[in-house]
Amino acid sequence: MSAFNRRHFVGGSTALLAAASLPGSFPAWADPAKGEPVMMGVSGPLTGQNAQYGTQWKQGFDLALDEVNAAGGVKGRPLAYVFEDSQSDPRQSVAVAQKFVADKKIVVELGDFASPASMAASPIYQKAKLVQFGFTNSHPDFTKGGDYMWSNSVSQADEQPLSAAYAVKSLGLKKIAVLHLNTDWGRTSKDLYVKAAKEYGAEIVAIEAYIPDEKDFRSTLVRVRDAKPDGLALISYYSDAALIARQAKQAGLKLPMVAASSVYSPKLIELGGDSVEGMFTASRYFPDDPRPLVRKFVAAFKAKYGKEPDAFNAYAYDTVILMAQVMNQFGFEREQIHQGLAKVKDVPSVIFGKATFDTATRRVNGAMNVELVVKDGKFQLHEGSIPTR
Amino acid sequence: MASWIDYTINGLIIGNIYALLAVGLALIFGVSRLINFAHGSVYLVGAYTGFVATTMLHLPLPVTFVLVIVVGALLGLLIERFGLRPLQGYAHIAPLLATIGISFVLDQLVQLTFTATPRALPSELLDKRFQLGSGTIGALDIVIAAVGLTSAALLYFFLRFTQLGWAVRATAQDRDAAQQMGVDVNAVNRTVFAIASGLGAVAGLLVGMYYNYIDPAMSFQATLKGVVAQVVGGVGNVPGAIAGSLLLGIVESYGIALFGTSYRNLFAFVLLVVVLVLRPNGLFASARQTPPEPMTGTFIAPSKPFVLQPRVLLGIAVALAILPAVYPDPYIMQTFTNAWLYGMLGLSLTLIAGTVGMISLGHAALLAIGGYASALLALNFGIPVGFAILCAGVITAALGTLLVFPSFRLRGHYFSIATLAVGEIVSLVILNWESLTRGPIGVSAIPPLSLFGIELESAQSVYWFTFAVLVVLVLLQFRLLGSHLGRVMRAVRDDDVAARSYGIRLDRYKALAFAFGSFAAGISGGITAHLYSYINHETFNAQLSILALTIVILGGMGNVTGAVVGSVLLIGLPEVFRVAAEYRVLIYGIVLLLLVRFRPQGLFGTV
Repeated sequence: MSAFNRRHFVGGSTALLAAASLPGSFPAWADPAKGEPVMMGVSGPLTGQNAQYGTQWKQGFDLALDEVNAAGGVKGRPLAYVFEDSQSDPRQSVAVAQKFVADKKIVVELGDFASPASMAASPIYQKAKLVQFGFTNSHPDFTKGGDYMWSNSVSQADEQPLSAAYAVKSLGLKKIAVLHLNTDWGRTSKDLYVKAAKEYGAEIVAIEAYIPDEKDFRSTLVRVRDAKPDGLALISYYSDAALIARQAKQAGLKLPMVAASSVYSPKLIELGGDSVEGMFTASRYFPDDPRPLVRKFVAAFKAKYGKEPDAFNAYAYDTVILMAQVMNQFGFEREQIHQGLAKVKDVPSVIFGKATFDTATRRVNGAMNVELVVKDGKFQLHEGSIPTR
Repeated sequence: MASWIDYTINGLIIGNIYALLAVGLALIFGVSRLINFAHGSVYLVGAYTGFVATTMLHLPLPVTFVLVIVVGALLGLLIERFGLRPLQGYAHIAPLLATIGISFVLDQLVQLTFTATPRALPSELLDKRFQLGSGTIGALDIVIAAVGLTSAALLYFFLRFTQLGWAVRATAQDRDAAQQMGVDVNAVNRTVFAIASGLGAVAGLLVGMYYNYIDPAMSFQATLKGVVAQVVGGVGNVPGAIAGSLLLGIVESYGIALFGTSYRNLFAFVLLVVVLVLRPNGLFASARQTPPEPMTGTFIAPSKPFVLQPRVLLGIAVALAILPAVYPDPYIMQTFTNAWLYGMLGLSLTLIAGTVGMISLGHAALLAIGGYASALLALNFGIPVGFAILCAGVITAALGTLLVFPSFRLRGHYFSIATLAVGEIVSLVILNWESLTRGPIGVSAIPPLSLFGIELESAQSVYWFTFAVLVVLVLLQFRLLGSHLGRVMRAVRDDDVAARSYGIRLDRYKALAFAFGSFAAGISGGITAHLYSYINHETFNAQLSILALTIVILGGMGNVTGAVVGSVLLIGLPEVFRVAAEYRVLIYGIVLLLLVRFRPQGLFGTV
């Protein structure tokens, strides 16, 4: 790796956030971090089909690093990351993996984005005993790759029953049509959703799988309509959910829609316009959340980027805060981080409230949940529900 | 019954959108005999121009339309003048590749300017809706149909009744004859590119407004569907392109109605293959239309190959074999391992495309078949990994040849489009055949690479293993090319009519070449699966097919040494450009363009 590299984002502190206090173990009065930075390696997409997610990660990372480094970094040294573009392509993520494991400065790896890219690199990280922290990898087999694969991505086994409960118990839907992304995430989620919804006593009248670059849902919606559901469940990302809602409105299909929390993004409303009005969804947090951590995260994010954060921003932010705490408590050697992840307790988290790993699955259970509805072009609490876990 | 009316209307609405793209593609093909893979990028630029005009500059809608058309037309002129005109007189493959390079550059420029985040492209004015069937039809649907039909009518008028139109048609029929009769062929080309690109840009604007959604990734899908629609209607046939688009829309919609959403594209591509095989000129071609010129031979640049002495090759091979012992950096090892794996893919395609002249655009499917075969054999039947990979090679050879066999009678572009479709079909079958392939969940916990029970743990051992396999395949292919069989294959490429009149059964030799090539690709896919430990239907995507083709062109068609060197360069360069992060795809596209421009026969020349 060349000595000069513009893509090494060495996090600096900004005056704006210097005063921000940190929860947990960070003393608010600590001096800004100095010296040789402690490096995390990020493998993710900056170009190609999934480039938007890499951009969102960077925003979340940078915000968290501003805070961490203003409050003393990790053991007095600044925390920073190297972002290697993999295009979320397995051929490149394995090369990046070899690069990271050979670079002794890298103490932990974050990413990759899509499962094929992440899981192709797992054997390399496992052999080299470098923690691969797949913070968006919900594939059920990701952490089975070995004891160095960890993830704080929201487990779909947690989320989908909550989503089903929202549809069946809170909203009283009896006959549900499920539209899901035909990816590993969408498929796993769909199975868990259908199982939970049936347990709660609803009937699943239609299941439609669509591929990620699908834009036209009109015929799918006719098929759904003919199954005579009383509501639609969307296991989608915000872009597809907006397209589905828009075309449902055009097709004259007036049914309640309950979408997975992955649609929670200001973009849903921008892309969907008034057709997403009345869409139900859930989230791990929302801007007016009473939790101080969330308020601080949302406020700081708005101040830095001039817009509301979305789920991927929050995952990235949480992950850096978590890593900083692990390193501060247990040290920043590779093996110390590996063992620290098993020991760390109750890390303040936007997504989980407090995050503690289940050492058997190497995942975090019990994500926060708030039930939301889109009203007047904004995400609002559904009938005064409060965050629960 | 009411539902079928709805399905039909929905099919027509989406077909309408395909038509906007297909008409432009058909025009360009009609005159230049070129499938313009940059058409989707012009469409993308049109969408973003519309975005800038409406949401940033707040221009009124009619002004936006004019601006989008002008920008599209200018872009078309630029592409024609600087991308394609210099390639006149080059083999047909050169402009085809140039359009792929141009599309990389344009897509990446749009992404760098506007980021990859999707944008909304609202259109208040066109938001009116009318009841139709049980759904509604929007003013925008009508505008789209009107634009499609008006442009087709204007084109018809232009081609029939104006002097320039006659020139366009004369050029389409016989370029050389037209030139001899004093037609300014370049002016014709310019005009066609301007019109087609203006239309493509408007398509981008309209579709963006229709979905209220634009993002830089929309380009490739648009090209794909546009190409399918125009081939179904008959390449180069403007009314046929419109009819083909509507038919494609309806077939997709009925496919959804009968089998569900996940089968939509499967129907589209099966329709394409069926039409190609049964009526290669498209469904709406008139009977008296001349058959497409035999493009094998003229399709590939002939040149004198640059031959490395066996001694030099041996020296390089020995140096590469001892590299891991001298410099065992795992990152370098991994990058070379990737290069060896893609070298095998390159060998496969250079034989099929270069030696026999069948340009395959679906080669990633062979990797996928090999990968899944080896992974599933090892997982489900406990077959040792080394043997599973070998079996995967054989299975890929059989299955690959069988899938492409019906398309052997096609020539030039038509064969390429058929393989593109077969590639998509394989990927969609993998996605939908869950009981075998585990569908979107993919195959995980694939046993690691091992030979005779010994796991290849280190990066060096994997390097040596893949390098050894590559060397064996290289030697086999050299032997093949030097034999009588190799000569026959080149004869098939150079002049299939002459070859046939010498009593050569074309299909058999094509099948032999395809089987041999598929074997190498299957081995590569098999090794990859065990190296990654996890694969799903996205692991071997359509971009790999383009990469494979680029490797082959870079090295020189049919050139074994070239395929390996091309692979090392194309796997290595993006790693070298890693410093440039977001800019590296852009650089890659520019390098591809320069290469096509200044060395169309590849680094080592056609064998």
